[in-house]
Amino acid sequence: MTPQTRALLALRLAALAVMGLGGIILAQTPQIGQSAGFTVVGPRVFPIIVGIGCLGWGGLFFLRLTAMPDHALIADVAAEEQRTDWPTTLLLLGLLIAYAAALWPLGYVIATTLFFPLSSRVLGSTRLRRDTLAGFLIGLVVYLVFTRLLGVRLPAGMLSGLW
Amino acid sequence: MEVFNYLLGGFANALTPQYLLLAAIGVTIGTAVGVLPGIGPALTVALLLPLTYSFDPAGALIMFAGIYYGGMYGGSTTSILLNTPGESASVATTFEGFAMAKSGRAGPALATAAIGSFVAGTLSTMLLTFVAPLLARVALLFQPADYFALTVLAFVSVTALVGSSLIRGMISLFIGLFFGLIGIDVLSGQARLTFGVVELLDGIDVVVVAVGLFAVGEALYVASQLRHSKEEILDVRSSVWMNREEWRRSWPAWLRGALIGFPLGALPAGGAEIPTFLSYTLEKRLSKHKDEWGRGAIEGVAGPEAANNAAFSGVLVPLLTLGLPTSATAAILLAAFQIYNLQPGPLLFQKSPDLVWTLIASLYIGNVMLLILNLPLIRMWVKILTIPRPLLYSGILVFGTLGVYSMANSFVDVLLMYAIGVIGFFMRRFQLPVGPAILGLILLPLAEAQFRRALAISQGDLSVFVTRPLSLGLLLAALAALVLPYLPALAARLTGKRTSAGRLVFGKGDED
Repeated sequence: MTPQTRALLALRLAALAVMGLGGIILAQTPQIGQSAGFTVVGPRVFPIIVGIGCLGWGGLFFLRLTAMPDHALIADVAAEEQRTDWPTTLLLLGLLIAYAAALWPLGYVIATTLFFPLSSRVLGSTRLRRDTLAGFLIGLVVYLVFTRLLGVRLPAGMLSGLW
Repeated sequence: MEVFNYLLGGFANALTPQYLLLAAIGVTIGTAVGVLPGIGPALTVALLLPLTYSFDPAGALIMFAGIYYGGMYGGSTTSILLNTPGESASVATTFEGFAMAKSGRAGPALATAAIGSFVAGTLSTMLLTFVAPLLARVALLFQPADYFALTVLAFVSVTALVGSSLIRGMISLFIGLFFGLIGIDVLSGQARLTFGVVELLDGIDVVVVAVGLFAVGEALYVASQLRHSKEEILDVRSSVWMNREEWRRSWPAWLRGALIGFPLGALPAGGAEIPTFLSYTLEKRLSKHKDEWGRGAIEGVAGPEAANNAAFSGVLVPLLTLGLPTSATAAILLAAFQIYNLQPGPLLFQKSPDLVWTLIASLYIGNVMLLILNLPLIRMWVKILTIPRPLLYSGILVFGTLGVYSMANSFVDVLLMYAIGVIGFFMRRFQLPVGPAILGLILLPLAEAQFRRALAISQGDLSVFVTRPLSLGLLLAALAALVLPYLPALAARLTGKRTSAGRLVFGKGDED
């Protein structure tokens, strides 16, 4: 498969995904309860409009890609496709999810001290010690400012006995 | 005359130490995020929203407005020194600004940008001072049908005029509308599109969507293209000032930029991006030094930078008087008003005159602060450009996660935000503008409520939208915005000429 055909495939899948979203909205609409009493326009009208809109514009996008392809767009997407570093992207996404999951059990400061240098490493930084220190400082300052000054709760986690 | 009295009262409030401090914080943060690529005023205001729940509304809005126009100042620094716009309104500045910096004239380029921003910012704030109360009076005549027509105009014009493709803009808008539908319908109390997830009953918070689309989407995109980016930062060797010739060439461009920026910012067409490109084109056409263009013509920096600051005051006109946001950042400002139970619109000037006039007075003060921040202190901002990119994006992710997590300490909210970030990643990849989605999300409740109210009044008669002259006019304007980009191509076809004239493109529409 050439990059161009792969880009075209990806764009068509995106168009189908938008149409799929429209389909899901329309399928869910009957489950919205009609309000009791007299209303001219009920709560189902706008979901139907938005559902049809997604189907329609997604369909138009698909047609446009098939009938008169936008060559500039396809060339751009193809070039991006070739440059794309999927392992880095997925690794960063995985790290983010792990960070969110670790916030409560480990506490804000420790989770941030771990996440910041690791994510910087994934994004190309090579100075682990500096990044770890920066992550720790950001975590500590944010934690203290939020919990002491702004009155916003953040998880203390493993360090809960310390402060 | 009563305008002057109100304005004086506003100054008396805005000059209190607390508000001065908040304005200073706002413009400083604004300049910083304007300078930093990858983070802009829309994302910043969204991130700060949860922290300001306990603020007094006037103070919070002064700070948010400072972030918005501070971002316009800061963006120029990045455009000139890095050839990468700090935010979308500074794209036009990169062309001549970077060329000037390359030939060793970064100093005058930064000076004309900062002074031009100040001149245009102050001039357009004066226009705002006099136009907004008048428009607020006119806006009292608006009925639900007119309001619905107005939201349609905003949806269509932002989508059709900004971005390179109508279809992709519309897809973005409908994704935003879909997010806006999720949750309990206010008018009937029915849950909609929650897919049985309890956390979705309250709807998706604008912070979750904005941080997901802007911060996570951008960081994932940068990660995906990591192996192929390199950039150079140019030094500011010369002093940040202008000689007599540069002054003489700058000031007409500033005035023209202000006069283009203010009205176009006030129209529902996506904020500051279109006026900057128009100003750039106009200056190029009028210039007596055509040979300099492309190698660093100072008018090419002065005009667009004046235009983007004037556009900010323009954006405030429909926002304050009609409650209508015309750009992604304005949409988030509207969300900020709503948090404090304030509904911008014609009644705002009657119900909360103190707040409105304190805000307007703070704009004058903030502009002076920004001039100081961006002329003598410019070298400080150049320093923050040297933050390594990996650390910058890690920081954006840490603060984005913090902004969403701190709202309710909810893991589900954060996961939802990451999921929306993945959507944002693919939107960037397939060149779908993000702005229409934010506008759709925030304006949907208003559009739907007014639509239902209008039809309740007319007892289901749809003709109510075309029989009122105001509503009809607004809908026709929406139609015109839809057709306008295709006019050159259409004209070429009608006159039988075969040209390469395609669709007119006014801007890229990736405001952050």
